[in-house]
This record gives sequence, structure tokens and C-alpha cells, in this order.
Amino acid sequence: MITKPSELTGSEYIKEEGLTCQLDTGIDNIFDTEEGRKILSCIQCGTCVGTCPYGEHMEYPPRRIIRMLRGGMIDEIFTTDSLLKCVACYACMVKCPRGIRLSDVLLPIVKEQTLANLKQIPAELQSSLQNTLRYGNPMGESSRRRVNWIKSSPSPVPVMSEIKRPVDVLWFVECYTSYYSRGQDNSKALARLMNALGIDFAVLGNEEKCAGDCGQLTWESGLFETLTDYNMEIFRKYKFNRIITGDTHAFNAFRIRYPLYGFDYKVEHTTPFIARYLDQLKPKLKKKLDYTVTYHDACCLGRRAGFYEEGRELLKAIPGVNLVEMTHNRTNSICCGGGGGGMWLDTYFKEKGMERLSERRIKEAIATGADVLAVSCPYEIYRFEDALKTVDHDKPMIVRDVVELLAESLEETDDER
Amino acid sequence: MMKGNNHEPLRIGFYICHCGTNIASVVDVEKVAETVKTLPNVVVSRDYKYMCSDPGQDLIQKDIRDNKLNRVVVAACSPLLHEETFRKAIGRTNLNPYFFHMVNIREHNAWVHESREEATYKAIELSVGAIRRVSEHKSLERKKIDINQNVLILGGGIAGINAALTIADSGKKVYLVERDPSIGGHMAKFDKTFPTLDCAACILTPKMSAVKSHPNITLWTYSEMLDVDGFIGNYNVKIRRKPRYVNEELCTGCQECVDACVFKNPKFPDEFNLGLSKRKPIYLPFPQATPLVAVVDPENCLELKTGKCKKTCVEACGERNAIDFEQTEKIEEIEVGAILVATGFKTFDPARVPYYGYGVFPNVYTALEIERMINAAGPTNGEVLGRDGKKPRRIGIIHCVGSRDENTNRWCSRVCCLYSLKLAHLLKERTGADIYSFYIDMRTPGKSMEEFYNRIAEEGINLIRGRVADIYPENGENNGNGALVLQAEDTLISRVLKVPVDMVVLSTGLEPQTDAQEIRRKVNMSCSAEGFYLEKHPKLAPVSTFADGVFIAGCCQGPKDIPDTVSQSGAAAAEAMKLIDKGYVELEPNTAVVEEDFCSGCKSCIPLCPFNAISFEEERRKALINEALCKGCGTCTASCPSGSIRQNLFEDDQIFNEIDGILQDGLFERGLVTNGDNPYNIERNQSSERRCAESQSQ
Repeated sequence: MITKPSELTGSEYIKEEGLTCQLDTGIDNIFDTEEGRKILSCIQCGTCVGTCPYGEHMEYPPRRIIRMLRGGMIDEIFTTDSLLKCVACYACMVKCPRGIRLSDVLLPIVKEQTLANLKQIPAELQSSLQNTLRYGNPMGESSRRRVNWIKSSPSPVPVMSEIKRPVDVLWFVECYTSYYSRGQDNSKALARLMNALGIDFAVLGNEEKCAGDCGQLTWESGLFETLTDYNMEIFRKYKFNRIITGDTHAFNAFRIRYPLYGFDYKVEHTTPFIARYLDQLKPKLKKKLDYTVTYHDACCLGRRAGFYEEGRELLKAIPGVNLVEMTHNRTNSICCGGGGGGMWLDTYFKEKGMERLSERRIKEAIATGADVLAVSCPYEIYRFEDALKTVDHDKPMIVRDVVELLAESLEETDDER
Repeated sequence: MMKGNNHEPLRIGFYICHCGTNIASVVDVEKVAETVKTLPNVVVSRDYKYMCSDPGQDLIQKDIRDNKLNRVVVAACSPLLHEETFRKAIGRTNLNPYFFHMVNIREHNAWVHESREEATYKAIELSVGAIRRVSEHKSLERKKIDINQNVLILGGGIAGINAALTIADSGKKVYLVERDPSIGGHMAKFDKTFPTLDCAACILTPKMSAVKSHPNITLWTYSEMLDVDGFIGNYNVKIRRKPRYVNEELCTGCQECVDACVFKNPKFPDEFNLGLSKRKPIYLPFPQATPLVAVVDPENCLELKTGKCKKTCVEACGERNAIDFEQTEKIEEIEVGAILVATGFKTFDPARVPYYGYGVFPNVYTALEIERMINAAGPTNGEVLGRDGKKPRRIGIIHCVGSRDENTNRWCSRVCCLYSLKLAHLLKERTGADIYSFYIDMRTPGKSMEEFYNRIAEEGINLIRGRVADIYPENGENNGNGALVLQAEDTLISRVLKVPVDMVVLSTGLEPQTDAQEIRRKVNMSCSAEGFYLEKHPKLAPVSTFADGVFIAGCCQGPKDIPDTVSQSGAAAAEAMKLIDKGYVELEPNTAVVEEDFCSGCKSCIPLCPFNAISFEEERRKALINEALCKGCGTCTASCPSGSIRQNLFEDDQIFNEIDGILQDGLFERGLVTNGDNPYNIERNQSSERRCAESQSQ
């Protein structure tokens, strides 16, 4: 059952969740904020550490960080790499019995200081942050090639700067879904769905740059603000009613950090967005897909935003799909390990002898006996397809975004035939 | 000389209290007394360290006699605390106690202001208002109303049982109403009780039978309160008695009907064992059920569902002829003087903490389920077995499930630490398993409780300080077989533990009953934010409520253990007896009164009254206010279109006089205070100047 309203504006998100900190909130003034008062109420129960996927690898896990902060010993934490291991999965935050918003405020601040104090930033992370600043995407691709995927899309994808008219839906495509081939599959599937549903949409094309969520999660505020200013400027150029994005990290940035910079558009992730069209879509899902599917809850969409059922309702609408659950699901889902900069720390984590979280997760998916692991976040396609290469499994498994499966089940139109 | 309404010259006494330093440190009490002394008709004006003390009261009484005072004003704390004290003191002289008014200069002034000058000025303003007000006060009498001598007790758990026996033993008649087919409540489900580890049934069942056989107790089980009407001392209550399809008078509890039922095997979830065992459509709730009478479950009884049963039960009952499929719901109407609410609690539903896997992993149980399982009369005859039929070798106990958590319930449920320790002991005793008990803080207050904690710790329970954050199958497969891993940080050594166990016990917290709000509305009580019933005062009136004549006891007021529940129910019984034993109740005279000459009979006041105190006299077409029900809230007075409702102690003259006094410029204008522009010799600062200017311009 879907009961949650899915489309809110920036200021409505702030109203719903309350503003816990300001742009200038830092380690020195955190106790002056509402969040600081919550931190003072910590009962040191250790739920944050127990649920943290890398808690056992941190010398100073969240509970101890709070204690050290209270005791005036926070600087000691910055001499370790503990918080570099935080993948911003929100598990500690959603389970905290005192409602402390660890992953929203304190942990990113500590992570920023940790990075600043690190003798050497892991090379992979460093280059992706530099790329994002220089090229507007972490892979260092040319910004002029961002729109190229459209050329190979069977369904038309209008670009704002070309159509020169207001649209209903501005689709913020994001990096992985623009440049990488499996990401492009996802984008093409969404384009096909939106065309089939008669949605008036357009993309920003080469004008778009990374929303910067992972910059924000590492509290790389300089980088994040550059991207925020840039994207806000582009948004102001055009007229549209709402923004959608298939990237849960961009969605996260638009919900949580952009409103602090005055962002007040209606914004929605594509999974709940398409779920709103379920009645219209259902009759068009003609092709039977005989798959057993298990659904992975993306952290930023599920735990952080509470959209657990939308992806499942969409999957159940596909004829022939048999939906099964992994042991850890919904609130208790296990992160793919890609958040908070984790996407570019795999090598570093491996050096530290830490298991890749995508492997831990894929083992649960394999245990369900499913044919398909369905996801709602473009990071996950890569991480899980990669993990499948290293984790033993007898039965073949594929990884698909929910929109890809919907598009696969969609009846073919005359044009497409 | 101005005259009061009893046509005698006004002689007012004014008293201002230091309240130690509570008031005097902020308000210049001497200055206030001096200033008030200059007002017309004020004969005496004094300040005193503690007005509420005996010497303070004597001072007032002496002045009334010596100076022939006929009005008294005391400026002190809140009238909630001492209005009654001073009225009584005045009542001991010849003066009517309602020729008195109290000014709150502590809570409303000294405790909330910092500027001595401004606070002193405010105290003078308020005092002048009171002096002006009290001039218009009238002599009022308290009315006495007889009290019905019966008491209604809602809820037949240990709180209701204990209160019923206490009141009944004193010779009063008690109606004990219980929703379930048997009394006993949660306590009847427990195996042993902490900290003494004595058997719950052994101490409870004698009390249950005493209730059943007591000549002064009318016991109605399987019954609910439908409706309450009336007022303190005189409540009319309707009780719905659900049909159990077995005649209580005729049934002997022999259970031959149960054996004879056409359902050969028990098939339906047994409520008393929380669904861990099965029962038939005709059943006895549990072996010690009181009354010991069978019940028919109409949802599943073949005869009641289809009318086509062989009725082997009726045959087995034979000449006793106790089974009666024609039985219908019965409404009883009773009159009582007091109502004692002891409706208890419900346990938290742990499915609301999804990561503990209750309802997903078969071997995750609630603590109450384990109580039943440990009990010799329980579903497994006391043997502790997992749902896979295996005896657990390792058992995890998780504290604070649905307690101390913003995502579920914020309060500490108070009993879970201790019952978890008790279960740790019992489980170890029964199974020899290794016990891992995960707690946040170990809370063991109360007599002998810390010693109990010490004893259990010495038995070798693994006590781990850390809240379990995740539960998952050890073998990675979600098929219910094999061990479950409890993942938690041991916060005392800062290490993440992954403890494999065969059985998990969730120590669920206590919550208000699902229908707590319905009952609250029916008897007009209040509730605290979490939904437990609100006591009149947390320290000094812990079993009274804001509804006069309604008392509370046990967990409906908040989580507590059996010793506290029994103490509280004794207190509530005493309060109820205090009320009814007096035989009458005195009503405050601050009620609303209809001036019938002016009442147009428009009835607009009737639906507005929150206490249903106003009725309509059809013959004379006038509104009529029941003084016993009226709480003096003023709603009708303010809303009456013809202004024909007035309220004692809140008459227009009294209120306007008080306002005039506070806005003292009104006094100047009317020439009632004439000694200069600034009769009080107070340095007015800018803000008070501005305030005066504003009030003049209006």
C-alpha cells in the first residue's frame, strides 16, 4: 500500500523534517543547533555502531564520536580514518532511539575534518572529486558528451535549450545514467516509459552538471557549493513544474541540502514518480516477464526518504513477476557501499581488509533464489554487477533498474515495431 | 464611605505574603502593603513571612474580630494551593468565607519577573484590582449533595481485584466489571514474580476466589462499560454484558462440554496463551478462571454460525442445562457514587520494530509469550521449546523493545529490566542455556530489586550493555531454521558483537490500552501525552483525576510493577471510600445561575456546556443548570445572547471592578482615588507610562 505523498518542494521537505542545521554548522557550533541539543540526549546505547555496516572497522564509531565530542576530545578522532568508512547509509540515523540525525549532520562534518587531516586522500576518491569539479562528473568525461546518449535512444528525449518552451517535468538525468552504458540503458528505459505515458518532459542536456550529493556527503562543501550554484543558475533559466531524477543521490541532495540554498522546486525520484502513474501504466504492461525478482532498497530513497513500497508496487504490476524479499529489507536494508564517497573507496577499503558491502548484499540476494535483483539507484547497477563477478552463485542473476523491467514489459507501440 | 452589598460600610483587610524569599526577593512587599493601606476602605494592610502558617491565619482571624473586617484580600501564591486554606480560616470567624479574594503574586509575578520595580508595580496593580473586586463579593453557601454508597471498578486485573476487596471489606457494595471472560489480568499470565520469585498464580488466585465469593462484590466478567451519566457521588452507568452462551449460575466449570465438542481437536488460537496453543469453540479461559464458567466463541461455534450442529456439548452438560444458545447481550443499569478505573495496559507490538524480526523469524518471542511457555499450565506444560521443537542452548534477551525510543514509545516502561532478569533466571533454570541479556541501562529501583539484580548477575547471565541493532539468520537464509545472530555493540568494551542464539526474547514495553481514549471520554478524565490517564497531581493527588469522583490505579495511569500497583489500588480504594463514607459532597458555589426572567429559552447554551450540566425545562421553556455538574467554566455565561446567565464569584461587577483596579487610571477618572497623579508613590518607568497612555487612548 502506498500512502506517502511523493512530491514535495524544497521548503515542504524542510517543513516536514525540520531544519536541523545551518549551512555554517560545524564542529565548533554544533551544540548551538537543534541537532546539537538532540546529540546531548544520546544514551550511548550503541545502536548506531551495531547497525553500521562498517562499525566493527571503525576505531571511533558514531557512539564514541558523540562521547568524544561531549568530552572535548573530538580532535583525537580526526587523527584516525574512522569516518572515511562511513558510507552514508542512514542505518544509524533511522534506528537511533533519540532521533539523532547522525548521517545528516554530525557524521559528514566529522568526515570533512577526517579528510582534511588525512596524510593522503585515497587516489580514487581524490580523482573523482577533482573530476567532478573540473568536468561536472566524477568519471572525468567531457561535459559536451553528456547528452550523447540521446542519439541512441529509440524514444525521443527533448532538450530544454532546443525546444525553448516550458515543460511539465524537468528530468535531471545525472552522471552515471548519462555516460555509462548500463546507466544509459536505464535512461532509455525511462524515456520510453515517459513517452508511453504521454508525459511532457525534457532534459538539460550538456548544461547539466552533477548534483554533487557525494560531495555533500563527504562535506566537501566547496565542491558542493560550486555545483549547487551552477545547477541552481541553470534551473532559473527554464520554466517547468517539477524536477524528477532517477539518481537517488541527486534526489537526496535536492531534498536535504539544496533547500538550504533556496531551492524550492517540486522534486521527486523516478520510482515514486512512475508509481503515481501505476493505474495508467498497468494496462500497458503486456509482456509477461517470468522472473523471480528481489528488490534492493536504496538508502537515500528508502531509509532517508521512506519510499519502500513504490518500487515493490511497480514490480508487482509486471505480469509474471514473483517478488521475494531478502532478509534485510526496507528499514533494515544493507547499503551497496556506494554512498558517502564509498563509490570511489573500494580499493582503499580492500587494502584495509574490509568486505565489499555490495558482496555482502548480493549474497543475500542470491540466497533468495531470485533471477533478478531490482534496484532504484544507478550506482547499484555497477556495484552489484561487479559483485556478481566475484561472489559464487549457481543460478544466473541479473541486475536491473525497476524502470528497465517496466520498459521491458511495456507493449510495443507502432513506431517501435 | 462606600458600602458593600450587605449595606455595611466596607472594612477591608489586606495581607501580603513574603513566602519566605519566594515573593519577597522580587516584590517589595512592604511597599505594596503601604500603598494598599492608602486605598479607600482598607482598614488593615500587613505583610507577613508565611501567611499560610497558623500564626498567619490567626493574624487574619484576629483582625476580623478586632477590626470588624468584612472583606479580606490575601496576595500570596496560586489560589490552587491556598485559597481553600484562607477560606477555611475566614470561615472559622463569623465572616462568610466568600468575602475573600486571593491574588497570585508568586507564580504570576515573583517567579516569572526579574525587575523588582516592575514586579512590585504589578503586585500593586493586581492587589488594587482585588481590593476593588472584593467590594462586590456576596455571601455564598456551599450546597451538600448525598452520595450513593456503591463503587464501580473497571478492570479485573490485580489493581481492580485489590481495590474491590478493600472497598468490599469495608462494607461498601462494589461492582467489578471485566472485559475478558475471567478476572486476573496480566498477572494471571505470569509464571513467577520479581524480586521474590514467588508463583504469580499462588498469590493471585486466592484473591480471585475471594472476589467471586464476596457478598459485597457483584462480579460482571465479559462485560464493558457502555455509558456514564451523572456527577460526583451520583453516577448512572450502563454496563453491557456480552453473551457467553453459558449460564453462569448453572455452569460448574466441569469442562465436560469442552471434551464433548464436535471439534475433536482444539483448533483456534487460545487468547490466554497468546496464540501459542489452541482451544475449542467452547472453552474455559484457563484452569483458575474466575468465574469458573465456560465460554462459547460465536465466531467459531458451529451451532452459532450455522445452526446445524449436533450440540454434543448440550448433551454432555445434561441436567445442569447450563448451555444456552439463546442468550443475548444484556444491559445493566447501576447507580454508583464513585468510579475506580483500573483498566491496565497492553504490551507493545514488536512488529513495529521491524529489524527485530518478530513475526518473521519463528524463534523470536515476546516476553509475555515466554511467561506462558515457562508456566506449568502453559502451552508446553512449562517446557521451553522453540517453534522448531528444539530446546534452545543459547537465548538472547533484548531490553527496551518499544521503550525509550523516539520511533516507538519514548517512556521507560519501568518493569522490563526486572522481568528480563527474572526471565533470564527462569530460562537458565529450565533449559541450562547460555543467556545473553542486552540492556541500555539496567534500571532496578525499588525495595529488594538491586539485590535481585545482584543475585541474577552472580548466576552467570551474560549482561551486555548495548542495544541490539540487527537480527539475522546465521546461515544467511531466511527459512526459519538455524541460529539467529544478534548484532550489537558492547558499549563497555567498544566492540561489535555477533552473538548466535537459538531463541530471542523481546522485552516489550507497556502501552495504554487500545481503547483507553474511549473510556477516558466516557468518564471525562484527562490523559497525559503518551495516552496514560492523568492524575490530578503527580505527587499530592496521584490516584485522583480531574473528574471528581473518578479514581485511577495500576498501569492505566502509567507503567508500574505489581507491588506499586497494589499500593496504588489501595490508595485509590481509600480515596473512593473517603468520598462515599462522608455521605455527602460539598459543592463549590462558583456555579453558573440562570436569571429566569431574562432567559429566552433559546437553548444555545445547552450544547456548549462541556459537562452536560444544562438541561431544558420544556414546561417553563427555561434553561436549568445542574449545580452538581457545573464546574464554573463560564462558557454558558459568556455565550448567552440575552446575558441571562451569571456566575457566582465571576459576576460582571466583580470582574469590571477588578479590571478597573488593575488599570488604575480608571480609578483616577472616576475620582475614586484622588490623592494626586501618582497615589502609590511609585516611580513609573517608560513602559508603564506607555501602558497608561495606551489604556487611556482606548
